Amino acid sequence: MIWVTWRQHRVQALLMAGVFVFIAVYALAFGLWARSVFNSDDLGSCLARSGGVDCAATITSFLREFNRGPALPLNLLLFTIPGILGAVVGGPLLGQELERGTWQLAWSQTVPRTRWLVTKLGLITAALIAFGVAVTAVMTWAWGPLDQVSIRLQPPPFNFEGVALACSVLCGFGLALLAGLLLRNTIGGMVAGYFAWEVPFIATTLVTGPLNLFSATTTVDCAGAACAAASTNSTPPVTGHLGDLVTGVTRAGGHLVVSYLPASAFWPLQFTVGAIYLAVGLAAAGTAVWLLHRRTT
Amino acid sequence: MTHDTSGVPALRADRLGKRYGHTWGLRDCTFEVPQGSIVGLVGPNGAGKTTLLALTVGLLAPSEGEVAVLGSPSRANTPQTLARVSYLAQDHPLYRGFTVADTFRFGRSLNPSWDSGLAEARMAALGIPLGRKVRSLSGGQQAQVALTLALAKRAPVLLLDEPVASLDPIARLDFMRDVLAASAEMGLTVIIASHVIAELERFCDWLLVINGGRLQVAGAVDDLLAGHAVLTVPREAAGGSLPGRVIERTDSDRHSTLLVAAASDAVAAAARAPGWAAESAGFEQMVLAYLRRPPVAAVPVGTAGTAVAS
Repeated sequence: MIWVTWRQHRVQALLMAGVFVFIAVYALAFGLWARSVFNSDDLGSCLARSGGVDCAATITSFLREFNRGPALPLNLLLFTIPGILGAVVGGPLLGQELERGTWQLAWSQTVPRTRWLVTKLGLITAALIAFGVAVTAVMTWAWGPLDQVSIRLQPPPFNFEGVALACSVLCGFGLALLAGLLLRNTIGGMVAGYFAWEVPFIATTLVTGPLNLFSATTTVDCAGAACAAASTNSTPPVTGHLGDLVTGVTRAGGHLVVSYLPASAFWPLQFTVGAIYLAVGLAAAGTAVWLLHRRTT
Repeated sequence: MTHDTSGVPALRADRLGKRYGHTWGLRDCTFEVPQGSIVGLVGPNGAGKTTLLALTVGLLAPSEGEVAVLGSPSRANTPQTLARVSYLAQDHPLYRGFTVADTFRFGRSLNPSWDSGLAEARMAALGIPLGRKVRSLSGGQQAQVALTLALAKRAPVLLLDEPVASLDPIARLDFMRDVLAASAEMGLTVIIASHVIAELERFCDWLLVINGGRLQVAGAVDDLLAGHAVLTVPREAAGGSLPGRVIERTDSDRHSTLLVAAASDAVAAAARAPGWAAESAGFEQMVLAYLRRPPVAAVPVGTAGTAVAS
């Protein structure tokens, strides 16, 4: 089964390897450049000295320089690639066998079809996880300098750090697998799988956006001009901690009432997003296995 | 084989049925086929032949009843049940991007009983290079690769669905000769689904006729031919007492020609009446008579001349 899986999916494996190499090369150049600017701007010692208060303008221009131009193609790619790759790998797995009639070949050998599918799913899932982890590793490294002075709680970089990217790929894979089975068609499975993946994708943008899960409220003392200038966009944030995402600031006499997502909400948010993706992906893949096992239609 | 299967029917269907939504693709099929038979499975397109074969392999689960290969119900879909049947599906599907060698490695990976020597010897004999891509082979060569994949699985029962439908006349003959030679050599039970009756007549010793999802007749070809006759009788006698069940009736001005299922002595006795004549039924004539019957009028299996072998 290992050889069969490799032989039938090697083009997709090479495609994934190619995508990874492209991302890795881009990320390497991006990461090295960001590091050199980070050092020449002396941001490291400023952070150590004042937590960013002394060099707010430098931080803002550093982020503007990197978050826009050079990161843009990479960000666009990383937003769409989990759904696309999941669809490209998942859609043909059953869709192509059914479309071309080779299912009659695949499932009439001595390996029962359920075991055939579960083995393939296991091997491909392992490969997709490896891809997700590898991309996450190089992107987390490349984004390191930006992470020190910006917010990780929203995409980018939330979508390609932690567990989000690997789980997102698996979700797209499971949905396209099921779509291929139901539509009995390769292209149909890929397209339907990709659009189905948009649903959990949008759900996760709600988790990192308007839902404000894990948000906290705090009161900050302030005086005079600092008080008047305080806003949700202040650098560093009015909570005094780089990485916090301030969502609301209300003035009350000599202090500010601040609602915000602490930087420490990163992992709870990651696990929430990962769980949404995995639940959807697992439900879809489980349905496909069950339908194939019953095979009454 | 994990247990002794000698004496067990190669195939046994018991009230087998398969429903697709609200329509029955196959219904109430009961028959047995002894080991070593070459079975012709005859019926028009859409009669349920492919459904019957897919149920036999275990590619589909029956809606009612069951079909067993060498005593094991195919529904179980375990390695043991799958190892008992080789299936060559209609249009001999293959992975077109695979080379012939890839195709055989696929067979070896998925079948513990795989016979590499048989596969390679057949390709050498046919002059098909192992390094060629399947998609670059001719239709006849692809059919041979697919047949070889089925044979090298070394299953005791071989199912062929319209194996020669897409082949030219020369390739058809070569292909069928190969099937028969291999099945004789390996002692296989072969079920060949086809709607080309003349081709089946030459090599089948067992017959299953299916129409509209119903089994019309099943049995050994010799028994069936002995149990059917063509009677020519005066037209006014055609509606009266007859020695057997009328399968088909053709009227001319003064005479009626009847294909009847009846014991041969009863036919011989009846033919002594003035104006009556009897002759033996031909294979094709008999099969066509069953195929022309409306499917709803399926023959209850077990009646004279169409008895299930027991």
